[in-house]
Amino acid sequence: MRDLRRWLLSLSGLAAFVAVWALAVALSSTHVVPSPWRVARGLAELAVTGALFKHTIASLFRVTWGYLLGVLLGVPAGLLLGWSGRAARTFDPFIQLFRPISPLAWIPIAILWFGVGDPPAVFIIFLGSFFPITVASMNAVANVNATHINVARNFGLSSYQLVRRVLLPAVTPDLVVGMRLTLGIAWLVVVAAEMIAVNSGLGFLIIDSRNAGNRYDLVIAGMVMVGLVGLGLDVVMRRVERFDGLRWSYGAANTADAAEGARP
Amino acid sequence: MNDSRRTLLAVLVWVASITGLHLWLNVDWSAVMNDRLPPARRRLNVAYISVTCHLACPVTDYISRHTPAGNLFIPRMFQGFPEIKEALIANEMQAGFIVAPMAIALVAQGVPIKIVYLGHRYGSAVVVRRNGPIHSVADLRGRTIAVPSRFSDERLIVFRALATVGLRGSDVHMVEMAPPDVASALAVGAIDAFSMGEPYPSQAEMGGFGRVLFNAREYWPDFMSCVLVVRQDVIDQRPEAVQALVDGIARSGAWLEGGRPHREYAAEFVGRYYFHQPVGLLRWALTKPLDRVMYSPLSPRREDFDMVRDLMMQTGVLERRIAFEEYTDTRFAEHSDGYNAWRFDPGDSVAH
Repeated sequence: MRDLRRWLLSLSGLAAFVAVWALAVALSSTHVVPSPWRVARGLAELAVTGALFKHTIASLFRVTWGYLLGVLLGVPAGLLLGWSGRAARTFDPFIQLFRPISPLAWIPIAILWFGVGDPPAVFIIFLGSFFPITVASMNAVANVNATHINVARNFGLSSYQLVRRVLLPAVTPDLVVGMRLTLGIAWLVVVAAEMIAVNSGLGFLIIDSRNAGNRYDLVIAGMVMVGLVGLGLDVVMRRVERFDGLRWSYGAANTADAAEGARP
Repeated sequence: MNDSRRTLLAVLVWVASITGLHLWLNVDWSAVMNDRLPPARRRLNVAYISVTCHLACPVTDYISRHTPAGNLFIPRMFQGFPEIKEALIANEMQAGFIVAPMAIALVAQGVPIKIVYLGHRYGSAVVVRRNGPIHSVADLRGRTIAVPSRFSDERLIVFRALATVGLRGSDVHMVEMAPPDVASALAVGAIDAFSMGEPYPSQAEMGGFGRVLFNAREYWPDFMSCVLVVRQDVIDQRPEAVQALVDGIARSGAWLEGGRPHREYAAEFVGRYYFHQPVGLLRWALTKPLDRVMYSPLSPRREDFDMVRDLMMQTGVLERRIAFEEYTDTRFAEHSDGYNAWRFDPGDSVAH
């Protein structure tokens, strides 16, 4: 019953937004901004022609590979930098210099290096994922309780055993949170990366609809789809966070959940 | 099975299925296979954007696909000129349609390309709000005008028109804006006017909120904006492929000048299969009137380009007086002069 009420409350916010939008369009009698109804018809049109499915697959493909490469390289790099003071002193300036550069600033270079099509878009998403996950991994190592490390050393664990049996389990919950946030960034970046040099994907769908004259219904339909897929990805990652093996360090998260449940 | 193994398995299944679906649904395998052919047998990749100045590119592709020999090149739609420029530099595209001043500026900066043909003549206009206060060029003083690029003939035409009433570029506020955005920007009053190629003036007219203040040809006889450029290494190593490309564009230009049925047919297949624009919009741009944009004659002429170069220097986007021969190669255009239009009417299944 409480769940149903929570759902209804969430939906009422969304419904109010749609109602205000519809009213604003009707009152302004604009011929540029489409009504929610026109956007829904646009979504249906894209779904019927198969364009929505095709473009969503393209975006998910690029995010999957860019993000996966970012995680596969960023996590070990971050763990190494967090663990070794010497490595951190050597490479931290590089990380801190490149981290604030928006991945989108790399677009011209990406085209020069990788040409057109999937590779430049995957590269841009990789950059968008690599730096956040590297920093999250460094921080995860920094947050490990030093007592755990010292106790492990006193028990005579080798370096390999220390990493395998103490460090990795200790950092995994923080890493998963970092991976969830990084996936959100990767999804933000893919839409912008697809606005150049590719002929598929939700970003392309938005810009292609923009080129198609007064079809802003399709532009907003593309935006709605971006939002829905982004929401879906976040839900999946939150589920992963709740796996038994990852919950142990979530005292704060559990408290937050409890507080959420206790709200009237 | 524990959580880690289940997660790993789910990730592997996800990666395999999303990759398979993408390769099946979105990859143009003919282009991929073409890139793997020996260079001598490879078809050229030709870049264009969805403006009528580049219409001859998709028209040539569509018609040549209906010939027994098949398509002449691989067309590739881009979203803007900067990306085309980078793809040309990276040799991802061997040829492309770009604005003439950008081509001249690139050559001046050492990029190895040459202009071999024009994309069109006319087809650009300055548009103002239909019920707005601008009724003459003099009324543009102090107004905000959108242009597609600082390296565009649409910008230069504004300078030319302003000069006729004693105004200078600094008397107006010029902003660079992506062509698809200008019609809605004009509709909501974000800009006072725009200078663009078709079909965006038509879009503003059809929408009922825009009015053509002047067509480019009124201040620039034989106005041309976009040109076909080819990389120098391709010109040197594969002149026959460049000649086939130019011949195809020339035949399409002549075909498009074959009367209203051809224009309407082009609006239909280009709108539907290439530009993804409403057929009605392209039909308006190509037929109201028929000479609103023209596709013949398209040979590069020295006097046209000298004027573009001089205007570029006057308006501060070109530093040196680059010679016509440095950035054009006219031999392909000269060879294609005698070509006739494609024989291809609406409903025909084979073209010749």
